[in-house]
Amino acid sequence: MSSGGNQDFRLGFLTAVEDAERGFVGGLLVTNRFGRPLEFQCTAPVKPNRTQQILYGPTLRPFVLAELIGKTLVEKIGVKPHIVLGETRELLELGSWVDIPVASILAATEVSDANPEDTLPIGSATVLVAANDGWDRETLNKQSRLIPKDADLLEPFERVREALKETLRISLNRAS
Amino acid sequence: MSESGDPTSVPPAETSEPSEIVCQSIPFGVATDIYQAGVNGALQRSPRMEAQALALLSRTATLGPSWKPQRARVTTFGITFPEAITFLKPKTEEKPERLESILPPEPVVPVEEVSAGEAPPKKATRIKPPKDALTIEDRLFYVLQPPLETWLRGQELIMPFEPFPYQYEGIAWLFAHDSALLADEMGLGKTMQTITAIRLMVRSGQVRRVLLVCPKPLLPNWQREFRTWAEELPFVVVEGETERRRLTWQMPGVPILIANYESLVRDFASFPEGEFPKFDLVVLDEAQRIKNRDSRTAETARALPRRRSWALTGTPIENRPEEMGALFEFMEIIPKGGSPDLKQLQSLSRDFVLRRTKDLVMKDMPPRLDRNAILELSPAQRFAYDKAEKEGVIHLNELGDQISVQHVFELVLRLKQISNWDPLTGESAKLESLCADMEEIAASGGKAILFSQWTRSLDWLYERTKQYGTLVYHGGVPTKQREPILAKFKEDPDSHLILMSYGTGAVGLNLQFAGYVFLFDRWWNPAIEDQAINRAHRIGCKSQVIVTKYISKDTIEERIDRVLNEKRELFAAILGEGDNTRPSLSLNASEIFGLFDLKARQGKGTRNIGPKPPAAA
Repeated sequence: MSSGGNQDFRLGFLTAVEDAERGFVGGLLVTNRFGRPLEFQCTAPVKPNRTQQILYGPTLRPFVLAELIGKTLVEKIGVKPHIVLGETRELLELGSWVDIPVASILAATEVSDANPEDTLPIGSATVLVAANDGWDRETLNKQSRLIPKDADLLEPFERVREALKETLRISLNRAS
Repeated sequence: MSESGDPTSVPPAETSEPSEIVCQSIPFGVATDIYQAGVNGALQRSPRMEAQALALLSRTATLGPSWKPQRARVTTFGITFPEAITFLKPKTEEKPERLESILPPEPVVPVEEVSAGEAPPKKATRIKPPKDALTIEDRLFYVLQPPLETWLRGQELIMPFEPFPYQYEGIAWLFAHDSALLADEMGLGKTMQTITAIRLMVRSGQVRRVLLVCPKPLLPNWQREFRTWAEELPFVVVEGETERRRLTWQMPGVPILIANYESLVRDFASFPEGEFPKFDLVVLDEAQRIKNRDSRTAETARALPRRRSWALTGTPIENRPEEMGALFEFMEIIPKGGSPDLKQLQSLSRDFVLRRTKDLVMKDMPPRLDRNAILELSPAQRFAYDKAEKEGVIHLNELGDQISVQHVFELVLRLKQISNWDPLTGESAKLESLCADMEEIAASGGKAILFSQWTRSLDWLYERTKQYGTLVYHGGVPTKQREPILAKFKEDPDSHLILMSYGTGAVGLNLQFAGYVFLFDRWWNPAIEDQAINRAHRIGCKSQVIVTKYISKDTIEERIDRVLNEKRELFAAILGEGDNTRPSLSLNASEIFGLFDLKARQGKGTRNIGPKPPAAA
């Protein structure tokens, strides 16, 4: 992974939406430090079969979201982010599968309970970083300061969700 | 084998149980012989048993189908965004800490409007994909753009002032439209919205070469606005000698070219066919300039090689709805020469026109107070006026069938001039009233704009109002001197009055610091008068704007005012409801004749004979 220039810090925003009939659709948006989009990748719907549902039980969602969708998207994306922010805690599992640090945004009430060693302030939020080999606190801490302090890290997830709904809508229209 | 027992013996009779079934043995004898064969001995031998060790199965035997976790193949789809263009920031700040420069600017909205202790709710203006964006790539491009507020405020692009919500919406709308007509009412910030949308498009790699065309007097205004709203964007104005202009047109690496209509038409014609430079976006300011689709200006605009076409005007229908057709043709949303009917125009307007009025978006804007100053002519003026009118009407009647609207028109102008001041004695009721008002305005440190139809009147007034630090701004003032005049009017606390012609001062200028507007005489079209008034009554004005319209009692001015009021109501009806039944907002021949109770002799009552609209100086 390229560390980029001094002013270069790219964020990946990973989330998924679930369609009752068609399954999960995941999207990864990579932006520059100001939130401007650089690349977007999304998956076709992934629907676990009955056997997977039974055998994975409560671990099904992390498996689908992180191992199937998240890992594929991170591998596929051309503009590699310096950190991947997952919208839900289940996506932290992705940290076991990719070299890039993976984090999820902590709610204000969760910050005090989290281990400070595992957290990092980015923009207006505090994120919980998955403990994996790609987690270089010092470098990441330095880079994350490039993000404006008032940056809203939740907003890009809205964009990703909108984009996923748009792709689902278009593919549905094409199919009908 | 042999039958066991004696085959001849008789079985005992079955008497124990009475039965009708009688069993009887039948003698059956078969003679058997044992043949000598080799196998017989083998049959009598005991079998030989041996044990052999076999390897066990290496895996557990299963009873059902096997399963192991497998990563399913996930199909993906992606888009990469165009590479953004970065520009060097102008040398205006030398702060060592980079991050401090991206703090949000102070909002323009007065602080008291936000209740104490409460942060104003953050509004997110999202860019919506246009209806004509059909591919998934195109639609995702727009959906994935950040909200304008976060894009602009305190982040990558520094805004000098916080735009109003409706301006954010306008910017987002322009950004997403290849063909667009921004028709906001005058004073709502079309310039700023356009510049910001261009800025976003350039910065996001959507466009690399933009041409902005405007009337010549507005060139300094656009330059100033570009410096204010997009300080990092380099622009070049097409001006100078022919060769220099030619080089400018072809200059590579310039994202924004600004040209006036006249030089565009001239220079376009000088290029061999097909060799005129191509543009990603062409913007026409005051686009009513191409309302006559057969004019050279309109033809040139349509012939420009371009990918996107935007038009800006506060008066999309100045006279007739067909003018919209001319704009739509430039925007390439109707075929060449197409003349959509009212229903089609309305449908196209929904998709490609954005128009907001002050009433709609600026509920908090200070009001505009119109007052008619109806003045008695001075005795000398009255005498001169009555004499001129009497002689004039007699002359018109003498002309008989030779009379034309031009003859009537000349009389109107003559009478209007006398209403301004008496050419013999210099007496002027309007001047007296103006000076009385100006005393008060100057004493309170206020500023006023005065509009007149004649530069001669302006020069005459200038000589008589110098005590108010008066400045003159009309077509006779060389272009290079105009900007300093406007700057002086704004900055010099001793300068309280600027005299402007409708032609030069009515469009595009931002004079919202002036709280007073005087219409010394009346223009022929209410839309032009409104444009003039809106120099002061526009976004950013801090207090109410008082508009004084001078009308001399019992003169032609009263009659013109009556017609203009009717026109103004009509204008609102057309723009508000798309009414296309009225032919013209300027005075037509019947109306001009009607000013003197004369009838149009040539039966062309709807012919527009009003003066030409204020042309670019």
